[in-house]
Amino acid sequence: MTVRRFLIIAPAIVSLVLIISYFWVPTFEEQTRGNPDRLVQFITTSSGDAAMLNPILSADSASSQINGLVFEGLIDRDENLQFRGRVAHSWKIYEHAFFYINENAATARWGRLDPSGLVSHLRTALDPRTAEWQHVKAVDLLPPEDITHTFSTQEGGEIRTVVLRAKAPQRVRIVLDRVDPMLFERLIKILGDDYYNTFDPAVDVTAEPDLPSAQLKAKARALMPPTAHNPVIEFYLRPGVKFHDGHGLTAEDVKFTYEAIVDPKNLSPRIPDYEPVKQVLVVDPLTVRIVYKRLYSPAFTTWGMGILPAHLLNDRVLAEEATERGQKPDDFNMRQSRFSRHPIGCGPFVFQEWKSDQHVRLKRFDAYWEGPPNYQEYAMRIIPDSLTQEMEFYAGTVDDYSVLPHQVARLKKDGRFQSFSGTAFGYTYIGYNMRREPFDDIRVRRALGMAIDTQKIIDYVLYGQGEKITGPFVKQTDFYNRNIAPLPYDPQGAVALLGKAGWQLGGDGYLQKNGKRLAFTLITNNGNALRKAILAIAQDAWKQIGIQVETDLLEWSVFIQKRVNQLDFDALILGWSMGIDPDLYQIWHSSQGGPFQLNFVGFSDPDADDLILKIRQTYDHERQVDYCHRLHEIIFAEQPYTFLYISRWTALLDRRIVRAVTGADGRNVYKPIVPTKTGGYTFHFNQWIKLNRPPEFSADG
Amino acid sequence: MLAFMGRSIIQKVVTLFFVSVISFLIIHLAPGEPSQIDPLNPKFTPEMVERMRTEFNLDKPLHVQYMLFYKNLFTGRIVSWRDNQPVLGKIWERFLNSLPLFVVGTILTWTFSFPVGIRSAIMRDGVYDKSATFLAYLLISIPGFFFAYILIILVVTELHVPVIGMETFGVTSASPLVRIMDRTWHLVLPSILGATGGVAVLSRYVRSQMLEIIGQDYVRTAWAKGLSSETVYYKHALRNALLPFVTMFGMILPGLIGGSVIIESIFSWPGMGRMAYEAILGRDYPVILTLNFITAALVLAGTLISDLLYMVVDPRIKL
Repeated sequence: MTVRRFLIIAPAIVSLVLIISYFWVPTFEEQTRGNPDRLVQFITTSSGDAAMLNPILSADSASSQINGLVFEGLIDRDENLQFRGRVAHSWKIYEHAFFYINENAATARWGRLDPSGLVSHLRTALDPRTAEWQHVKAVDLLPPEDITHTFSTQEGGEIRTVVLRAKAPQRVRIVLDRVDPMLFERLIKILGDDYYNTFDPAVDVTAEPDLPSAQLKAKARALMPPTAHNPVIEFYLRPGVKFHDGHGLTAEDVKFTYEAIVDPKNLSPRIPDYEPVKQVLVVDPLTVRIVYKRLYSPAFTTWGMGILPAHLLNDRVLAEEATERGQKPDDFNMRQSRFSRHPIGCGPFVFQEWKSDQHVRLKRFDAYWEGPPNYQEYAMRIIPDSLTQEMEFYAGTVDDYSVLPHQVARLKKDGRFQSFSGTAFGYTYIGYNMRREPFDDIRVRRALGMAIDTQKIIDYVLYGQGEKITGPFVKQTDFYNRNIAPLPYDPQGAVALLGKAGWQLGGDGYLQKNGKRLAFTLITNNGNALRKAILAIAQDAWKQIGIQVETDLLEWSVFIQKRVNQLDFDALILGWSMGIDPDLYQIWHSSQGGPFQLNFVGFSDPDADDLILKIRQTYDHERQVDYCHRLHEIIFAEQPYTFLYISRWTALLDRRIVRAVTGADGRNVYKPIVPTKTGGYTFHFNQWIKLNRPPEFSADG
Repeated sequence: MLAFMGRSIIQKVVTLFFVSVISFLIIHLAPGEPSQIDPLNPKFTPEMVERMRTEFNLDKPLHVQYMLFYKNLFTGRIVSWRDNQPVLGKIWERFLNSLPLFVVGTILTWTFSFPVGIRSAIMRDGVYDKSATFLAYLLISIPGFFFAYILIILVVTELHVPVIGMETFGVTSASPLVRIMDRTWHLVLPSILGATGGVAVLSRYVRSQMLEIIGQDYVRTAWAKGLSSETVYYKHALRNALLPFVTMFGMILPGLIGGSVIIESIFSWPGMGRMAYEAILGRDYPVILTLNFITAALVLAGTLISDLLYMVVDPRIKL
């Protein structure tokens, strides 16, 4: 009897306990409308957890989202994508240009001169009162110097350390108040055509152990280039900016952040961005001067990097932490430090709590230099599943939701929410291996592009949530050339074009040339449903005009390591996510076409190479835009990729969220949230607040 | 007994060693290497990859890597490649999160399977048995994620209460009782989902086991003695039918560390399964290998425990 009773009572009790708990749970109503604190909380979701809350080390989007609120950089971009000061209130960009005195050459204008004579002549010639030289501030002669440079070479598996000693000759320094990439070209008419070319740096260079003379020459040239541009950025920091622990932010912290990034021990993924930096100098506590080794305009953006507090992460503090945790200070670096789990920055929000795979909570920083944000609290909940994200959003326990493409048409019309949409910064393309036949023929690449109906892909695969593109620049920026029309969808035209290239329809229904079928393999990575759909669509479209296409789906790491990096493919579908900066060197410069490099399609065009370098070297926005438009035209004309689309994203926000700004009379004025030029709607996040009921705005906004 | 245990433990340690070697090899044979940097980041240079490889010891020969890995594991110094957190700490934290889910799920499975299965056996081929059989097959075949979505949508739209996560977000100020009940509520749906499959399968086992025993001679003897059906079923038959389940009990142990990727992802439960899954996607070898090693150790411990339990409950077995 007892056994039987037990068997019935046990499950009954368990069920009862579980059911009773229901009556204790706060309902959605209690959590949202019944909770006044909810109006000053912003809750968002992320599908993945943050990895490391240290801006110089993190590489995932959840971490960057939090780091962006806890840390702040010297600069960022405003609504119109122009740079604006944050921790720095202003900056100056100028240049130090150098060239070595060439004792062997006579100048074109004054014949042979001794160094001091040359400098005094230059001082008169480069007259700042003339239009051409108005940016020249000073011309000086620098004394000769001894340079020692140590490097290691690898020969037959053996690593050798070589010490180079050079007696560098005197050098002329020209100080300019803006960057002038054409300075040395313009100086040619004074100095003569051969003044730089005939400079031989190898004369006074010795190597220990000795190097073959060709190698020595190359090394000497790299060590002492005849001319050098050293762009300089001087940032003037805002006084009174404080870290969350009350410690003031100074130029030392900026210098520390730079040093932490380039310290190989920390393995920062941002090292390449800072490689062109020659030195970072603290001029005074609120002025920091950054000297670059060469012209490299994309470098400016990198100062949007969040500034780390030096007093919490310097070597001494890290060593103490290592000892405390029983580890050797020598093996201990910033990655291991508990700072990454408990960050302290100078941004608008203070870090509160991070529960792995549950949530990250931030509180507003009352001493924020721009005034504290309106929200008291910011929380990021980690919800991996999109359906549960959606349910939580409807329930009001989460404030925003990223809509999936197929839901856009339905949810955009929903009166409960306000919606924002914009185009992504990345594009999807089909890339052709231009080293291989038949893709070495531009007519073939063009015909392949014309055979694909991109509009249909956008309409059916993306549910209309995409836009056509024609080139590699971010579409919302000025760099994108809007005058270029996309390739037409024209299968007949494609066949005709292929005919001109020698491909004729054979008896078997396939295009042929010299008895060989037009056949190739199109590959992409597994796990991306969109790319998989495009794979099938492209295969079908090409088959219809008589091309035999095999397709293959490969696991991501196999796809990258065995095929893309080894340049072993015919055509592939892939996407790039771009930054706003127009630097295309890694993806499109002909020097980057080797194995393991990113120009894997093998695009090579001398004019494009020239433009890519010029874009990097120009600090003038208008000129950059001009170069970019020309580069865009060249790339479009060459069709190394069939540019397919950029996708559109849509986000929903509770309609009760508005911007509250203090008006002229000191009262709060509510304004609607408006997206910026890039479509970003969170630009004014610090002004956001949630109201009790949806606001009414007058028609003029 | 002691001799048996000694032999068994030695065997198990040897097995564990082979498991550790094989899992290490498999992980390193799989294509793709870990990196804290995206290899398609345009700013990324081959020197950076090389430095990462050196930092992770990936440039060393496999046997050296193996030694280094297990040395670090046993000294507790092994860190995740994703965020440089100590792996054992991470696993312990997740283990504590997964534990309540596992415990409640197991209790549900075992308390429900027996009454359902026994009744099915007693009422063999009756309406109850037929519908129980039908329900069991339905629960076995229904995909877990689908069932989960249906339950979530029902509960959220009809009852208007939160179901995901370990606790309602933002109830930190409430009294301890409210918090405990809140946590219990959040266990309900995921543990029911975790238990459905278990109940369906286990109740089938109980049914067939009972049926087999009911047909035995000693049960017929018991009936012949004129004992009440209570005593026959619950004393004579059930005790003997329980024997095989003792072995199953030992096999629950590895489930402690497994967790369920699907249920944990849908319910945003910060458990083991999700961590393991993300570690595999991110090629976070230290986490994968440590979990693998612990699971193997638990499986072996589980078999040892079942053997011992069997010896205790069934005196016929002399080892």
